[in-house]
Amino acid sequence: MAETVKLFVNGQEVEVESGKNLIDALKVVGIEIPHFCYHPALGADGNCRMCLVGIEDGRPPLVPACKTPVSEGLKVQLDAEKIRKIQHDVMELELINHPIDCPVCDQAGECALQDYYMTYDHQASRMRVPQVVKEKKLDFGCGVVHDQERCVLCARCVRFTRLITKTGELGIVNRSDEARVTVFPGRQLDNRYALNVVDLCPVGAMTSRDFRFKQRAWFLKRSPSICHGCSMGCNIFIDHNREKGGDDLIYRFRPRHNALVNGYFICDEGRLTYHQENEGRLATAMVDGKDSPLDQAIEMARRKLENARKPVFLLSPNCSLEQMLAIRALAESRKARLSGFSDAYIKNGDGDGWLIQDDKSANRAGLELLGIDTAREGFAQALEDADLLVNFNSMRIVPAAAELAGKIAGLTTIAISSHNGPLTRQAAVALPVSSYSEYGGMVINTNHILQRFAPAVIKNQPAPDMLDLLRQLGCTLTERTDLGKAMQQAIPALAGTDMSAFPAEGLNLKEKETDHVTA
Amino acid sequence: MMSAKIKTIERQGVSYDQRLFLIEVFKGMRVTFGHFFRNLLDNSKLYVRHYPEVKPEITPRWRGRHRLTTHEDGTVKCVACFMCQTNCPSHCISITAGERNDGRSEKLPVRFDIDLLECIYCGYCVEACPMDAIRMDTGIFSVVTADRQSVVMGLDKLLATPGAFTEEDYKKRGL
Repeated sequence: MAETVKLFVNGQEVEVESGKNLIDALKVVGIEIPHFCYHPALGADGNCRMCLVGIEDGRPPLVPACKTPVSEGLKVQLDAEKIRKIQHDVMELELINHPIDCPVCDQAGECALQDYYMTYDHQASRMRVPQVVKEKKLDFGCGVVHDQERCVLCARCVRFTRLITKTGELGIVNRSDEARVTVFPGRQLDNRYALNVVDLCPVGAMTSRDFRFKQRAWFLKRSPSICHGCSMGCNIFIDHNREKGGDDLIYRFRPRHNALVNGYFICDEGRLTYHQENEGRLATAMVDGKDSPLDQAIEMARRKLENARKPVFLLSPNCSLEQMLAIRALAESRKARLSGFSDAYIKNGDGDGWLIQDDKSANRAGLELLGIDTAREGFAQALEDADLLVNFNSMRIVPAAAELAGKIAGLTTIAISSHNGPLTRQAAVALPVSSYSEYGGMVINTNHILQRFAPAVIKNQPAPDMLDLLRQLGCTLTERTDLGKAMQQAIPALAGTDMSAFPAEGLNLKEKETDHVTA
Repeated sequence: MMSAKIKTIERQGVSYDQRLFLIEVFKGMRVTFGHFFRNLLDNSKLYVRHYPEVKPEITPRWRGRHRLTTHEDGTVKCVACFMCQTNCPSHCISITAGERNDGRSEKLPVRFDIDLLECIYCGYCVEACPMDAIRMDTGIFSVVTADRQSVVMGLDKLLATPGAFTEEDYKKRGL
């Protein structure tokens, strides 16, 4: 537990963590201070003046909360008449030129300006002069659409491009009511994190072209999850909704704060991987390229597996640890050779040292931890005299192993797959399986942080869970409790920990090991 | 054990014929019997509207089938804000929004379906609409069909249905 200080808010004593500013520290204990420009990742700018609070017996008596660190015995006024007047006046100034766009604005429902209007202003406009007209629907590049009229000039987006991506494409030009956020002529947003400005924008000035008009914010269910776009394992919210008569579809990914993994942001590429969860899915089981009832296809796969003399199991580096454990157990009981060969998931030179990693799979560290061979030689050797290949949701083999692809095409294969692809189409039996937005499990990211995620989406016709399929194929290690025990054996750091008390931000396995060594 | 609750109700009526009830019952049925005997003797004066030959008079406050309104230049007023869909207690409205390029706004509905079998004609959609884009002033109260699909009113049908009242009468409806 970090050090704490005691201070007074509206005369009431509260105990908060020291070293933070008033906004962050008081938020933890449930006291909201309204603010536009402050963001914990971007620091205090102090330009919006919305977070002004009174300090009793202080010089000066009014301070911006974002720039005021908590200190022992500080007497903060939040409900004084003068503070209410300041908040009201700031809101009135913000709304002078703000268009009444809420019906067409994507931010409506999650808009700071709307929320603060209802809480701190709630007055009719006194302006009798025409509003300043600015540009709307500007294409800023990278899928960001900007509306200058809605902007409150908090400069979060500008600071994001300067401080975080260090690309500095955005700036504020002109002064007073002519001030506007814009890009340099001919130089649009050009970085791989640009869509974060959409989340950062407290109002609807920045919208995402991908999400634009797809859903209203209040229809979406927000389920916490882990991005499987690369080996960073960024924490996300899956925003999904089941429309009337439709299926449960994902409409966007948003970053979820995790100081251990991704901080406040995610990359654009990962953000847009939600499309793959909605589209191109393997919907029905197939036998020899023809649709087949699921139970018949499973029975067929089970028989093929039983009759195989030298089966080879190929598993995806995206599988959760539970799935890997179960697949490994099935491989052992069937005397199958197990490979996690997945070089095609690695895109060399694509990583940027921050969030984007070369390795586009979510759980390669898990493969290594369980001692599953990922080498190409091992896989090629196993294929030599194999008579059956069971592919556990590995979607990419080519281009990393184009010559192996020919070999695979000649083999009898069982593809247990969440998505449709060339490997499922050429399979003797293809079985649909749920994807990561539909199951829960554990993955280990590239920095050895073990994270747990829960199912988010429930489809109208859910594809069977990998563990259920494995049980029907004859695997004995598919019960949650057994898997939990196997997991604790495989990961020493987990031994003796209660899984219901697993930390939400994940567990750093490396740190745990070194702790162990030094102790 | 729960003891039985006993409530003693005082007998109503003061005089003997009131306590007999029978006379009071006939007094109460006076109107009914009046109609019965009048219609029995002369049925040319029945208090009945000869529907469907004679249609009822619909006031502008009547909530009939929905329609979508347009601006003077024929562009749809709806901006696909989903207020009606959000407010609808029977979830009969489903909208798909799209990009709009006619200069009116940024957004318009590319699909706007109202399932009249699900609609309960409460009028919440009309009240929720910030654009006065949806109205229930068509005066159509009878929706008859042989199949379920044709009662799903699409964008075209909703836009094609005219209002049954003048703008002034509609505005005067006192809501």
